[in-house]
Amino acid sequence: MAPEERRLREEVRAFLAGNAPSPADLPRSLDARIEALRGWQASCYRAGYVGRAWPREFGGGGRAPVEQIVVDQELAAAGALEFVNVVGLDVLGPSLLRFGTEQQRRRHIPPILDASEIWCQGFSEPEAGSDLASLRTRALERDGRFVLTGQKTWVSWGQFARWCGVLARTEDPGSGRPRHRGISMLIVDMNSPGVDVRPMTQITGHAEFCELFFDDVLVPEQNLLSSRGDGWKIAMYTLGHERGTAALPRQVKLRTWLDRLAFTLGDRALDGRALLDDPGAQVPLAQAMIGIEVLRYHAQRTVGEFLAGGAVGPDSSSVKLLMAEAEQRLAATAVELLGPAIEQADPAGHDEDAFWEETYLYSRAASVYGGTRQIQRNIIADRVLSLPQEPERAEGARSRLD
Amino acid sequence: MELELTEEQSWISESIDTLLSREWVAPQDVSGASAERRCQIWRALVEFGSFGMKEEGEDGLGAVELCLIARSLGSHLASVPFLGSAAVRLALAPQARSLPAGIAALLSSQDPIGVALLEAGSGWTVERAGTRLSRGINGLEIRGEKVAIEQLKAVGQLAVLAMLDGEPALAVTPPSAAGLTRQAQQCFDETVLMGTARFDAVPVPGSGVLGGPEARQVLRRLMTAGSLLAAAEAVGAAGHILDLACRYAGERRQFGRTIGSFQALRHILADAYVRRESGWSAVRYAAAAFDDGDPEAAQAASIAKAYVSRGAREVAHSAMQVFGGIAFTAEHPAHRFLRRIGVRAQQFGDAAHHERRLGRELAERVSQARSALSSPVLTEASSA
Repeated sequence: MAPEERRLREEVRAFLAGNAPSPADLPRSLDARIEALRGWQASCYRAGYVGRAWPREFGGGGRAPVEQIVVDQELAAAGALEFVNVVGLDVLGPSLLRFGTEQQRRRHIPPILDASEIWCQGFSEPEAGSDLASLRTRALERDGRFVLTGQKTWVSWGQFARWCGVLARTEDPGSGRPRHRGISMLIVDMNSPGVDVRPMTQITGHAEFCELFFDDVLVPEQNLLSSRGDGWKIAMYTLGHERGTAALPRQVKLRTWLDRLAFTLGDRALDGRALLDDPGAQVPLAQAMIGIEVLRYHAQRTVGEFLAGGAVGPDSSSVKLLMAEAEQRLAATAVELLGPAIEQADPAGHDEDAFWEETYLYSRAASVYGGTRQIQRNIIADRVLSLPQEPERAEGARSRLD
Repeated sequence: MELELTEEQSWISESIDTLLSREWVAPQDVSGASAERRCQIWRALVEFGSFGMKEEGEDGLGAVELCLIARSLGSHLASVPFLGSAAVRLALAPQARSLPAGIAALLSSQDPIGVALLEAGSGWTVERAGTRLSRGINGLEIRGEKVAIEQLKAVGQLAVLAMLDGEPALAVTPPSAAGLTRQAQQCFDETVLMGTARFDAVPVPGSGVLGGPEARQVLRRLMTAGSLLAAAEAVGAAGHILDLACRYAGERRQFGRTIGSFQALRHILADAYVRRESGWSAVRYAAAAFDDGDPEAAQAASIAKAYVSRGAREVAHSAMQVFGGIAFTAEHPAHRFLRRIGVRAQQFGDAAHHERRLGRELAERVSQARSALSSPVLTEASSA
């Protein structure tokens, strides 16, 4: 680590020691909680820890991308609260910076950074999950506006968002033409008439994501991102970006969870012996550690290439696969090793048990969100190994290469 | 830590590949390669400067470069006494100036070196051994028996783990020494010939013995370096069989289409690719840590060795599944890669050995931190 990165790390640590609220301090009601989380992101932004590598002219820090990675790793290592505008920061913000007009960037980037406006993404639909190109939401142009109709799902933070990046069909691809043609990306104001948001309860018990319904929602044509028909290209850039940069902070978080698990195993005894001293627990713990550490080594190598060249290559799919594998292995190891103790439901261990049960349940999403494990394998098979394509999928797969 | 290859490192890798493509045989012919051809490859590696080691404050090759060479050797299934020769030199180089003359001579010697650590019934520990150094009339003598010494017939020197006054020590002797008898062993990979050596009061000069705390350091580094080189070779072999399987999947037709267009096989190959690439990331990270003298280097090497020992096998199994029946014929090269990977997976500790060690060390660190109530130290390593 370079001296200036070390200095930055120390600076972030000092900031966190003086300012970080703990998750236990958060208000219980969801609305109040979101307000507190906005405040936390805003104070991190003022300290220079949000959008550190984004252009200065739009409110970013204008620094090297590696600095943001250092900051994110420190935040994760300290168990700091996550940024509430994660979709804006990781997904739509980078797309706006890459494809947006000057006016769009000036209007939208600063409120993404300080969380005064939360963003969500409207990509998946009930009939278009992994097969995203089959999406049906339509945006027909009429009198200088788009009229948007359709349904979106798995929209994280939709109930708190002011803006949504929506993929919609602006043209009929025509028969025999690839279905990803004619898809555009629209910036939709969630306050518009005709937008209906319905939160869905997840298996963890939280309602982090929503269904969205658009009923003749009017979207001004200046809210088109890039050109008509560029939606697919933007979506692929967006998803690749998310895969390419999120791994290192996530890895640090997994490492803190591994250490937490080891501590908990030291606290819990089975038949008079601490679980941590049992070789039958030590080996699975080591296997979980190996998965997490190899994720770091591989992500550092591929992110290094990303930072050097700026483009997220198909190897971000390898990182995504390793990330899901490491997280799921750790969480499954935790519930297997703690299982007997969790079953006994000692009130003294309630919070810890609840943390691992939730972590385990949440980990099952890691191989689904942002492109399933199977989609990542398809990307590697097509774009890295250049294997022949499946005949029935050739049309959809070609679209990724355009 | 630098994870990008420098121009010089890329050049080393390409040069060794070119050399082996020109001078070494095809994978299906490796078992028939003549002793003369094997010697020729060894001489070419020496001439190339493969053993010009980085000593204190000097330029030269380190673990990253030697792992690149090992990866190429594994990819071509070359049959040379490289692994032990490179591991011993990497273990000695950082202490070159404080070594006894007979041990330091290994660094400038052009002889291949064999590593004699393992004994019948023992695991891969360098903390103790049944073989002993005792004081006879003519000075120190080695007594005991070592097994699984790679390329025993071809090596010019043996680095032997033996106990001296109850402490682990490293002794060096030529295999032709009086009182030393060699025997060939059954080999899973006939291109990696193994042998046993019996030591019946084999005399060694005092300058050929390293004892005390320096010996422990060198022996532990020998395990670390050996793990990395064995893992690097396994990644190379896994990479080659995977390339062959991908090519085959693009040519072989069944049900009227190339079999590589079936998702069942595409996904097997994609997973194998991830295993190979991440395995190499692990080896490269750990090798760079070794060269930096990082205190975490031994742990990183254990992680890489455990991961690659399982992962490279997985890649070979997946590739063979893609080949189908043809890979079950002796004539097909698939089993040559599988055998080489199997041998490298065992050497310097298999996955289970390293996982037990990592788990034990993690438990010890956590126990210490719990008693000191200073948890933050634990996350230091992962954000470095």
